Amino acid sequence: MKYKITLLVVLFLFSCLFFSNCQKTPGVQMVQLPVKNDPTISFRILFKVGSQNDPTGKEGLAALTAALIAEGSTQKHSFEEITEMLYPMASSINSQVDKEMTVIYGRTHIDNLEEFYKVLKEVVMEPAFKEEDFQRVKTNTLNYLEKTLRYSDDEELGKEVLSEFVFVGTPYEHIEEGHISSVKNITLEDVKSFYKKYFNRNNVIIGLGGGYSQDFVKRVEEDFNQLPAGESAQISPPRVKPINGFEVLIVEKDANATAISFGFPIDVIRGRRDYYALAIANSWLGEHRNSSSHLYQVIREARGLNYGDYSYIEHFPHGGQRQFPPANVARRQQMFQVWIRPVPNYAKLFAFRAALRELQKLVDNGMSEEEFELTRKFLKNYVLHYAPTTMMKLGYALDDVFYGIKGSHLKLFRDYMDHITRDEVNETIRRYLQYQNIKVVFVTNEAEKLKEMLVNNTSSPIKYQTPKPQSILEEDEEIANYPLNIQPENVKIISVEEVFQ
Amino acid sequence: MKPTVIIFLILLIMEVILAGNQPKKIFPFSYEKVELSNGFKAYLIPVEGSGLIAYYSVVRTGSRDEWEPGRSGFAHFFEHMMFRGTKKYPGPVYDRMVTEMGADANAYTTDDYTCYHMVAPSEYLERIMELESDRFQNLYYDEKAFKTEAGAVYGEYRKGRVNPFSVLFEELQNTAFEKHTYKHTTIGFERDIKDMPNQYQYSLSFFNRYYRPENVILIITGDFEVARAKELIKKYYGNWKPGYVPPKITPEPPQTKERVKEVKYNGKTLPILWIGYKGPAFDPGNKIVAGLDLLVDLAFGETSEIYKKLVIREQKIQFIGADFTPNRDPKLIDVYAMIKKESDIDYVRNEIDQTVKKFQNKLVSVDQLEKLKKRVKYSFLMNLETPDDIAGNLARFAAVTGGIEDLDLYFNNIESVTPEDIQAAARQYFVKNKRTVIILKGEK
Repeated sequence: MKYKITLLVVLFLFSCLFFSNCQKTPGVQMVQLPVKNDPTISFRILFKVGSQNDPTGKEGLAALTAALIAEGSTQKHSFEEITEMLYPMASSINSQVDKEMTVIYGRTHIDNLEEFYKVLKEVVMEPAFKEEDFQRVKTNTLNYLEKTLRYSDDEELGKEVLSEFVFVGTPYEHIEEGHISSVKNITLEDVKSFYKKYFNRNNVIIGLGGGYSQDFVKRVEEDFNQLPAGESAQISPPRVKPINGFEVLIVEKDANATAISFGFPIDVIRGRRDYYALAIANSWLGEHRNSSSHLYQVIREARGLNYGDYSYIEHFPHGGQRQFPPANVARRQQMFQVWIRPVPNYAKLFAFRAALRELQKLVDNGMSEEEFELTRKFLKNYVLHYAPTTMMKLGYALDDVFYGIKGSHLKLFRDYMDHITRDEVNETIRRYLQYQNIKVVFVTNEAEKLKEMLVNNTSSPIKYQTPKPQSILEEDEEIANYPLNIQPENVKIISVEEVFQ
Repeated sequence: MKPTVIIFLILLIMEVILAGNQPKKIFPFSYEKVELSNGFKAYLIPVEGSGLIAYYSVVRTGSRDEWEPGRSGFAHFFEHMMFRGTKKYPGPVYDRMVTEMGADANAYTTDDYTCYHMVAPSEYLERIMELESDRFQNLYYDEKAFKTEAGAVYGEYRKGRVNPFSVLFEELQNTAFEKHTYKHTTIGFERDIKDMPNQYQYSLSFFNRYYRPENVILIITGDFEVARAKELIKKYYGNWKPGYVPPKITPEPPQTKERVKEVKYNGKTLPILWIGYKGPAFDPGNKIVAGLDLLVDLAFGETSEIYKKLVIREQKIQFIGADFTPNRDPKLIDVYAMIKKESDIDYVRNEIDQTVKKFQNKLVSVDQLEKLKKRVKYSFLMNLETPDDIAGNLARFAAVTGGIEDLDLYFNNIESVTPEDIQAAARQYFVKNKRTVIILKGEK
């Protein structure tokens, strides 16, 4: 508890650092990434406002506002005209919203810089917020919530439900898109007010990368200084409710396989030495979509139960569609998370136990010298893949500002791989990871039956179609009987129709 | 438009811009081709600066080559087995060596090819070549490992099955094709996936027939010395024995009547309308094929009339689009839309028909065509930023045509496409009797 309070103080000071940067600067804040031979220019215009700033009852407002900026008309041009203008340039303007930030981004060839910049400036500074655009974007969001997320991607559904479950009662709680009722509740006037309140020069950082000239930088700075002054979007970091033992949420649907996610908040963020030590442990346990992941080896490789199994110490949205971490989803509060890709329904409890048992082994035993050396070496080179393009490097540079990192997170990452010791990693594991207080989400069928098995600590033996080595069978016995201490009042069942309602 | 198609188009325009009337150099990077006596081919494309290399091994075998009954999905399954290692470097050792390099290594399977790709620091070129050439020549796995991997493949099928598009594609291909192996999707029929654990012996024969030097193309891009790479290729791939056995694929008989099917999706989704017109095999020398590439974007892309009308103004659909993907054999030209209300399905279908008629009866404006060509050019220029981008964008062209030499030919075709060619492509391929219409509806 004492540690938690210290952490909150640190986080508060850190958040002040981030936001005070802007207040000290008279004009807009710029992050530049000149790349001499790059024939393209990348823009990432980051507003320090995100879904945590959504008003109660209007959850999803930040996301809807950003979508309407990127996919709507300006005061001078209709959305149709904007699309026509960008088309020959093969460029587009997109938006991304996370808890703490909104990014409007786009990239163009230097030949088209003038034309593209003119459109981008208009889109960001002079949105029209027309009723017809609003209806189109709002309907798309509702369809995503009501249909796509609930029915066509159980893995993403499980992860989003877990995020709401872990951050319940904090401004991080609701998913960025909001809930069906809250999105329905949002009016065009709400969008206009939100834009007016937060999309101001005190909340913006202009990220510019590629082969631009210094004259161009001056122009951009001058132009965006025309944004009105306004209030800061700063709010306190989320205070996450402590988890009491195992808390389980079962989303019931007619699923032919079970998606499982579990996790808990962790008080460690980029830039601190602890983060990089924990990154080594996490990479060994569950490097995203990589066969080096230990969970992958145990559940998929040795047993063939699913497509993959991974773990995270930072937010990693839409993992099914990307290989490397995205930029500009930086947060002051992270969670540790395990993602078990869909397993056959008969193996759901077994797979959950298997992953939990591996987490316990890591916490209790730490990493061996061999595991540590291999992972350290791996990560030192693997992070080179995180930001291969100017656009991604620019995104990372903006995140460096958020986290108050002097220099570069990726450079720091590589440097630390030469200095962090195994003892340090194992100490960090014990400090941040645990296996007693965890929130778990299952997306599955036969929810009552699963609840019964969970609360009764029912053994979950597994049978394979094909023979397995004796060592695996012996280990299976241990996994199947891995003790679960879950109280009935800590298991809730909801229908998929209730999710995000 | 798919990135692969875009790159073809842009490459053409680049040629004109960079070379003028000189002997045309299309590709902005110089490359060298290595061809060994066993039929193995490699394209070496040095690009300085990143400190990385991209290493793409393209096997010209995909789900198209699964011609034997009950064996659908095997090319994809085999992609999984390739990570099980050899006697010299068993799976765990292979994994460990890849991990030590910090490589980004993965693979994917398509209808026409299977691609194994790795991006790693340049210093590891020889190690990568040793590892990759070894598993392509000496793959070894026992029956237990084979059966375990079958479980992972079934897991992948289950994972995808919740997506309405997976359900739709399965029905589309099954309905559009009667004889040709394009009848099944790349992951295969579920009944065949279930039976995979019993096909160990067949898997060995699959490897022996298809994983041969004549059927594999290597593309290396990034920071490396060409001379050194050439030496290494001879050393590591030179002793690979040829022995490719072509698949016995039955050609698809001509379609004479429109096929329409309604599919139910066990979940909620907006209705999806998908129309697959029978298209041509990819042929870089064919003018109509080039016209078709541009036509799909002109007719159904984001600046098309139908897009503006149905997506932006009337807001009756969430999206609309069309694709023509280069394939080795004649496959489909896809036109698709996600519709907001079931009651609008017929209306949207009629709008698509009207669009087709318009392009068949009226010439597209030169201005529109030029805008598209400009788009293609800049899309290309902006998509060759990393070694991985370059190799990744060439993989399908190499797989479908057998190399990258015909880029010149194809890009010349694209650049010379006229409004008349667009019209001819619309008349020849947007034929009602040669199309399959799938309407997917979710639960109420």
